[in-house]
Amino acid sequence: MKVTDSLIKRRFLFVLLGTCGVFGLLIGRVVHITTIETKFYRQKAEQTITRSIPVYALRGQFLDASGEPLVKTVSASTVIAVPSQIRDPKSTAEKLAKVLHGSLQRIYRLLKKKTLMVYLRPYGRRIDEQKTRAIRKLRLPGIYLTEESTRSYPLGSMSASVFGVTGGEGQGLSGLELYYNHVLEGKKGAIRYVSDASGREIPSTNDTYQKPQPGYDVQLSLSTPISEFVAREIDQVVAKYHPDHVTMIVEQPSTGKILAMDNYPSFNPEQWRQVSPALYNRNLAVWQTFEPGSTFKIVTLATAIQEHQVTLTQRFYDPGYYEVAGHRIRCWKAGGHGSQTFLQVVENSCNPGFITLGERIGKNALFSSIKNFGFGKKTGITLPGESKGILFPLSRVGPLELATTAFGQGVSVTPIQQVMAVGAIANGGLLMKPLLVEKYINPETKEVVQAFSPHVVRRVVSEATAAQVRDALEHVVAQGTGANAFQEGYRIAGKTGTAQVVENGHYSRQHYIVSFIGMAPANHPDLVAYVAIDYPRPKNSPVFGGTIAAPVIGHVLADSLQIMHVAPSTTGIPKRFRLGIDPSMTQVLNLSGMKYQDAVRQMMNSGLILRVSVSGHGDYVVSQRPVAGEFVPQGSTIRLYLGQEQ
Amino acid sequence: MHKLHVDLSLVVVALLLVVIGVTMVHSASTVLSGIRFHDNFFYVKKQLLFASLGTFLMFVLARLDYRKLQRVAGLLFLLSLVFLVLVLVPHIGQVRGGSRAWLGIGAFGLQPSELAKFSLIVYLSAWFARYPMRVQSLIKGFLPLLLITGVTLMLIILEPDLGQSAVIGMTIMVMLYFAGARLRHMGSLVMIGLAAFVGLILMAPYRLSRVVAFLNPWQYPDTIGYHIIMSLIALGRGGLLGVGLFHSTQKFSYLPEPQTDFIFAIITEELGMVGAVFVLVLFLFLLYRGMLIAMRSTDRFGMLLAAGLTTVIAVQVIINVGVVTSLMPVTGITLPFISYGGSSLTLMLCAVGVLLSIARQSRIG
Repeated sequence: MKVTDSLIKRRFLFVLLGTCGVFGLLIGRVVHITTIETKFYRQKAEQTITRSIPVYALRGQFLDASGEPLVKTVSASTVIAVPSQIRDPKSTAEKLAKVLHGSLQRIYRLLKKKTLMVYLRPYGRRIDEQKTRAIRKLRLPGIYLTEESTRSYPLGSMSASVFGVTGGEGQGLSGLELYYNHVLEGKKGAIRYVSDASGREIPSTNDTYQKPQPGYDVQLSLSTPISEFVAREIDQVVAKYHPDHVTMIVEQPSTGKILAMDNYPSFNPEQWRQVSPALYNRNLAVWQTFEPGSTFKIVTLATAIQEHQVTLTQRFYDPGYYEVAGHRIRCWKAGGHGSQTFLQVVENSCNPGFITLGERIGKNALFSSIKNFGFGKKTGITLPGESKGILFPLSRVGPLELATTAFGQGVSVTPIQQVMAVGAIANGGLLMKPLLVEKYINPETKEVVQAFSPHVVRRVVSEATAAQVRDALEHVVAQGTGANAFQEGYRIAGKTGTAQVVENGHYSRQHYIVSFIGMAPANHPDLVAYVAIDYPRPKNSPVFGGTIAAPVIGHVLADSLQIMHVAPSTTGIPKRFRLGIDPSMTQVLNLSGMKYQDAVRQMMNSGLILRVSVSGHGDYVVSQRPVAGEFVPQGSTIRLYLGQEQ
Repeated sequence: MHKLHVDLSLVVVALLLVVIGVTMVHSASTVLSGIRFHDNFFYVKKQLLFASLGTFLMFVLARLDYRKLQRVAGLLFLLSLVFLVLVLVPHIGQVRGGSRAWLGIGAFGLQPSELAKFSLIVYLSAWFARYPMRVQSLIKGFLPLLLITGVTLMLIILEPDLGQSAVIGMTIMVMLYFAGARLRHMGSLVMIGLAAFVGLILMAPYRLSRVVAFLNPWQYPDTIGYHIIMSLIALGRGGLLGVGLFHSTQKFSYLPEPQTDFIFAIITEELGMVGAVFVLVLFLFLLYRGMLIAMRSTDRFGMLLAAGLTTVIAVQVIINVGVVTSLMPVTGITLPFISYGGSSLTLMLCAVGVLLSIARQSRIG
């Protein structure tokens, strides 16, 4: 083959055509990217070139049922600087130092820092209104004002484990703070600007400030005064018995609202980092599970009545033990209660009596009723970390398991489950879902954003059954093991519980959880209150729910009903006086309106064995606690409130 | 005296590309030159200087008879090889961007590989013109030429500048084909070339990572895929009409060295699809004129020289735009006439001058 010019020219042509083809491909690719894919890449460019400095929103507050803040957000203006946007750091620092009364050098050093954003610590944090206005007036490029907020706790450590804690950026870490974080946190705002790869603002581009949206306030069903009663009682129990843990809950049975919930030990939420995580991560009222003991007999009783397996007037003989599947289960009272009615079985919390009830009901009906009452399942309370509790699987329930379950052993339940179950007895047979949050409120407009209404889970017993159980429980307080909860006029019904705790596979001889669950007034309860005291250490006295836990609930219910303006009633079951156990009662005189000296003289002369303590200043007694006509034990203290005028 | 015949359209297109180049180098480099030299005009001033020098040389060469080159071809090539060796010697060759590829003092430097690229084209054209039939012989023509080319490429790979050697390798292959090499020789050469290329890529981890990044840039957006993504973002951001001259944001240190290898991305970002396609069409026209001159040339040297010079421009444009549009892995190749770079710009304009000279001779003939 000869190399001719025509061969060469032909090859030129081929290559030229090929080149045209390749150029076609290049042009096609450019067109594709700049038209069809342009949207995608513009988005990517936007992400790449805009820097966004987050501006935190003010966190919503927790309010109590009356709208008073329980956990507050305190905010103030804070100066932040975006160093890359500051054109003249020197003069900027000078101007800032003048307004903020800070060290020029320190501010200058902060402004020169190589970060996206810097807080002007310490001079520029939480500045007052006047400084805020002055800074705003300066209109310095790269200097911004933002609201900075911190949590403040007007109630201190009260109910701290319920509220939970927030972290360094204000995010909820536990408790309600965690559960409602999405409601409280609001929407972050941002300072956005166009920047080069090293974060410097590209000249002649706009920056935008997007205002943050504050989070909603969360109004809780909690009542501050009732919570204070609860906290006071817990303090007293702790001082007296040095227990490991105490848990208390107060509920409104008609709605399922939780009015108070608190645990001991608590902690100072401002310094939560210094305490054990268990304190702020675990709310014992919903987390802790234990054998309820006798308080659980309420469920057995209600089921037996509902299933027509007992009338309370029927008689029963307790020899002091009960034989089940070769085991001899003893009654707590040595020698037994002898012959009694089933009402007395309840009053005496007699174990053999309840075993009989359990056998009459049968395992299927009893366990299905227990589940109906909400045990073995979460109540659905809006708190993190709720436990389910443990029930015997039905297939493994023999006569022994049936017997122990009937008087509250071998089942494991949470405090909140017991409150809701007894709440169903109190409200006439409806199991409610616990309601802790009533509404979300927009803090700026005060507008209710969302409201939550009570939720009935199911009917568990009939109204008539519930009424009979309440009547029996009123007898327990007035005439039986719950006598220490008795409060004149408040018709308290309730049940004690004393459960031994299993330690190393055996029931411990010292470690008990004593509890009491009560409601009042018995005919139409407005409140259910519960206390569990884990490992009380009383001096020289046996550990019984009746002596340790019952008075706590008596006090809380009486005080709460008083502030709820529920009038005392005289139609309740009268108290059986127990000589040597119950104190002699004395009726309080009316001292209000008298001159202080006269009041004291009258007290002395009347021969009542009562003490006086005084609040306030003045010559006249303005009011008194307890009020006139109430019965108090001899030796009680009457508090007189003094004022200048009659 | 004959009236001077100049291929006016070629001059206009070449100068238009240079003007676009200078403008875009200015736009793309202001940020970087501001940061590096505290002078926003640092790069553009140098580019303007070389554009002037190149244009001057272009007209000088256009007036000269290109056939004189045939006589000095050997000497020119030898000189290039000496430079290529010299540049590898530490303290003599300057390192910029990881390659010991510059000879010179201070900021002004000559890239011997640029010179070698053109002198090899001239030398091969002269050789083909002198022994028109030998290229068909494996022993007497094809292999010796490959050896000469191979030595040149080897020296450049040692800098290391794989991109430049790829450009030269491809150009020489096309020239061998033009000159009448046997297709079966060409076929084997393509195979060997590909194998060598793959081998070189596998040898250096940074080259391999570029290929990996090319295949899946979004998996490595912050490391090896960064260049590609930033380039594509610039293109996509430009859209149909661009964000406007001087309004690129990608040049704000997102796209590294925006004034050289990725200038086409800045062009597309600021001037949009319209501007980018316009530039590509200008190049296509330039290539068409170049090949037309080659076809009309009356002597074998002129034909092959014109075709070779045109080919080197085509190869560089294709690789550069291919990289910017992510059709190829990242390779450091400048866009002729447009990218910042003194040696490249000056020599490209000289090449146009030689093309003009060939065109002039063919008309006279």
